[in-house]
Amino acid sequence: MTLFKEYIFPRLIQWVIVIFIGVSLTFLIPRMSPINPIDQAMGRLTAFQTLSPEATLALRQSLMDLYGLDGSLFSQYVNFWGRVLRGDLGPSFSAFPTTVTEMIGSAIWWTIGLLGLSTVIAWTLGLVLGALAGYFPDRWWSKVLENTLVSIYPIPYYIVAFILLMLFTYYLPIFPLVGGSRGAPGFSWSYLSSLVYYGFLPALSLVIGATAFRFIMSKALAGTERTSDYVRFAEIAALPKRKIVFRYVIRNTMLPQVTDLALSLAAIFEGALITEVVFGYPGLGYLLLNAINASDYNMIMGITLLSIVGIATASLLIDLCYPLIDPRVRYR
Amino acid sequence: MFSRLVSAGLLAAAFSLPIGSAMAQPSGLPVDVPREQLFVSDQILRYNVVGNYNFWVQGPQNPTRHAMFLETLWVRDQETGELINDVASSPPQYNDDYTQMSVDLRDDIYWSDGVQFTADDLVYTVQTLMDSPELGANGWHTQLNQFVESVEKTGDHSVTFTLSEPNARFHSMFEARWNGVYMMPKHVFETVEDLATFTNNPPVVLGSYIPVQADPNGFWELYQRREDWERSPAGVQTGNAGPENILSIFYGDSTRKAIAMSRGELDVYFDADFEAFQTTLDTTSTARSWYQEFPWAYPNEVSSRQFVFNMEGDPIYANKDVRWALALALDIVELQTEYIGGVVKVTPLPVPPTTELMRLYHDPLEEWLVNLEIDLGEGEMYKPYDPTVPDRIAEWAAGQGYEVPGTPREVFGTGWWKFDPEAAEALLLKNGFTRDGSGQWLKPDGQPWVLSLQSPPDENDAFRMSNAAADMWSDFGIQVDLQGPERAVWDQNHIEGQFQVSTPWYSFALASGDAWPEIRGWHPEFYVPVGEDYRSKGGGNFQRINDPRIGEMLDAMQAVEPGSEENFELVREYLKYWTEEMYFITTISFKKFVTWDERYWTGFPTAESPDYMPLYWFQGGKYAFQSLRPAE
Repeated sequence: MTLFKEYIFPRLIQWVIVIFIGVSLTFLIPRMSPINPIDQAMGRLTAFQTLSPEATLALRQSLMDLYGLDGSLFSQYVNFWGRVLRGDLGPSFSAFPTTVTEMIGSAIWWTIGLLGLSTVIAWTLGLVLGALAGYFPDRWWSKVLENTLVSIYPIPYYIVAFILLMLFTYYLPIFPLVGGSRGAPGFSWSYLSSLVYYGFLPALSLVIGATAFRFIMSKALAGTERTSDYVRFAEIAALPKRKIVFRYVIRNTMLPQVTDLALSLAAIFEGALITEVVFGYPGLGYLLLNAINASDYNMIMGITLLSIVGIATASLLIDLCYPLIDPRVRYR
Repeated sequence: MFSRLVSAGLLAAAFSLPIGSAMAQPSGLPVDVPREQLFVSDQILRYNVVGNYNFWVQGPQNPTRHAMFLETLWVRDQETGELINDVASSPPQYNDDYTQMSVDLRDDIYWSDGVQFTADDLVYTVQTLMDSPELGANGWHTQLNQFVESVEKTGDHSVTFTLSEPNARFHSMFEARWNGVYMMPKHVFETVEDLATFTNNPPVVLGSYIPVQADPNGFWELYQRREDWERSPAGVQTGNAGPENILSIFYGDSTRKAIAMSRGELDVYFDADFEAFQTTLDTTSTARSWYQEFPWAYPNEVSSRQFVFNMEGDPIYANKDVRWALALALDIVELQTEYIGGVVKVTPLPVPPTTELMRLYHDPLEEWLVNLEIDLGEGEMYKPYDPTVPDRIAEWAAGQGYEVPGTPREVFGTGWWKFDPEAAEALLLKNGFTRDGSGQWLKPDGQPWVLSLQSPPDENDAFRMSNAAADMWSDFGIQVDLQGPERAVWDQNHIEGQFQVSTPWYSFALASGDAWPEIRGWHPEFYVPVGEDYRSKGGGNFQRINDPRIGEMLDAMQAVEPGSEENFELVREYLKYWTEEMYFITTISFKKFVTWDERYWTGFPTAESPDYMPLYWFQGGKYAFQSLRPAE
């Protein structure tokens, strides 16, 4: 009961407040932008054709009605909360009449697939390689790994992505230029293998940088653990080195990295804008960029809402799990 | 040992999965259609409304799609200027006072489900659009209600519109440049309860191609040719079958388009920047654009580029002499050659010098341009026009080793204003401008002249044109602040009047030569001051020009038949006035590196066989697709 009252309950309240403030800001910020969704829609509609002045005026009014932008800011805010609580995010302004929920629903699986997998792969690879390199700092492979990954890490992501794109789509044209898959979606080998084929390059670009980052962090932590008393005692006790690394060193370096992994996974809901643009890959990032450019309030709010709820919930879950992982929290 | 074997196995699987999946793919294209049966076209945007073919509601994007399967009464070809009968079989016929328009329809075209197209479809389309405010796409609902009193079938293939007031241009709603009112299949739509939510998927179409598969993420769409293609308007018009399948695919930027074409995964792209186009020529030996050689690009899309002024920003730009001074401080030959690569046509009029519009406007106005005089002050009159500009560009081209495929005027457009900084200086001195000790211009109030120029970088030629102007005006002694805002920001700045000088595209004339529909929005009755949305009265006057003379000229145009010599003469008078006032500094016309690869398909329109425009993403692009034949 004390744990709930002193630890869990305050965190639940904090979670609700963070989401309320975040969602309210999400409502307000696009409306403070000088870009107006009606003007953007009018611009798209009249870019190619001439409308009579009378038709222009009528179109403008009909867009105000369709987009639900009539009325005061406060009434829009109240309507907005009503819709959010009903799970209705309204229509996308830039892809009318498609709803925001539909659009996010079709984009999110690509982002989860790409970022989720690449984050887990990079985290695991970086953690293991970093721990090995930290525990065996004088081995030749440890030095090669360290020099390679430390050299890669400072290279800006978009340069790595562009090099991969040019290398494997032009000079060695084995991977596709755009898209997420071939043909119609289904549980067939051809479709599933095409998912790997289309996702490989974008995933590789993400894994390279993220692995390097995780490797550096993990190596530093493992280097510290290596000099700990328990490692010395284990070595004196002649435990196999593999066992020392995998059973003790890695487990002790994991605590801060688990927090980081959870936050990284929650950040998936923001999408991977540069990756999606460079590789022409579907996902939330591209959707958000287009929404910002078109002042698509509903879409911006939908994606941001997802991101706020995702990160706030991940933080909450980490906080709630800490007593399980770290006995020091449990006994405080 | 076992765990090592397992690790090695997992590692091998991790590497072999992507390699294996790569090996398993038949090509980098997303559909399983033999390449020789597939034409691949560049999709100019990524569709964000997928699986919805109800193009009468706002939302679903129409580029390329309307060329594939949507039809209207007529198409105005931008290359030839010709009015092509689409589902009509005759031009529009008006009564004497323009209160009725009649049209005869083709009796040899059918919907893709085998039902014949008749007058009932046209009447149903018009009546349904008028009755359904939810069908708000393209402003057709409003405009039809504004113009039409009634629409009647007068025969199985003839219809008469009774108009609510005399209107000699009513037919332009059904005459596609970009698009015209799309025909609805009455037998399908009349069974639909809610047209606003109807997705029309799979669509019953009048065009030659039917969409059969689409990427849920909007990157591509596959179309299949109708078996009875010869019963579609484009089939009747061209008599050619065209490819069995067409794939439109969004590759994004110019680099990826060039790579895709080099890989044999793109047959035509709509445009690219100059460098990517050159890369295409270097990497794809079978690729070409409108001209086989220099200047390559398609030059006749009906739009022009210009510097425009905000008349209610800094007051100096409301002074015509200042606008003239800025024009005379530009070296158009250097701008066209060094900054744009010599690949566009020059024009001083806000009308592109296409073959037809040159005949209607540039040629008849050449003498007037040569004799035009402006007042430099102290009684000195000055002739600013330099007719030798195309010849000088041709000389530059010869110096580069290029052969010019026609007369300089045909290929490089008309003359332009002289590059004469001394004359420009005289105009400024006349108006109280001075130079400081370092030669920089000061405004009449003694403040340094800082010219703010806004040009969104996503429009390649406009941005290059702005860079040229920034360099030349800086050399002339003006501090130029060149800004490249995002398009959405730039749009918004236009809307509110937050700019001094900017670079929008425009054309004062349609491909037919008529101008009134394009310029009506500049009538003073639609004028809105800076700080308010310039469209709040429905007009298009982003420069905030409030000139009663323009209103008088527009009123005169409205009253005459659009295809008449009387109308063209009024447009010429308008162009003269606009040019004398230097409301725009128009520089060049549009060009597009519409580039195609002849590896798999031939027959796309070219300068040697200019039967149709190559602008395939317009509704009239259907004829370019339909004209394709397999390469030998």
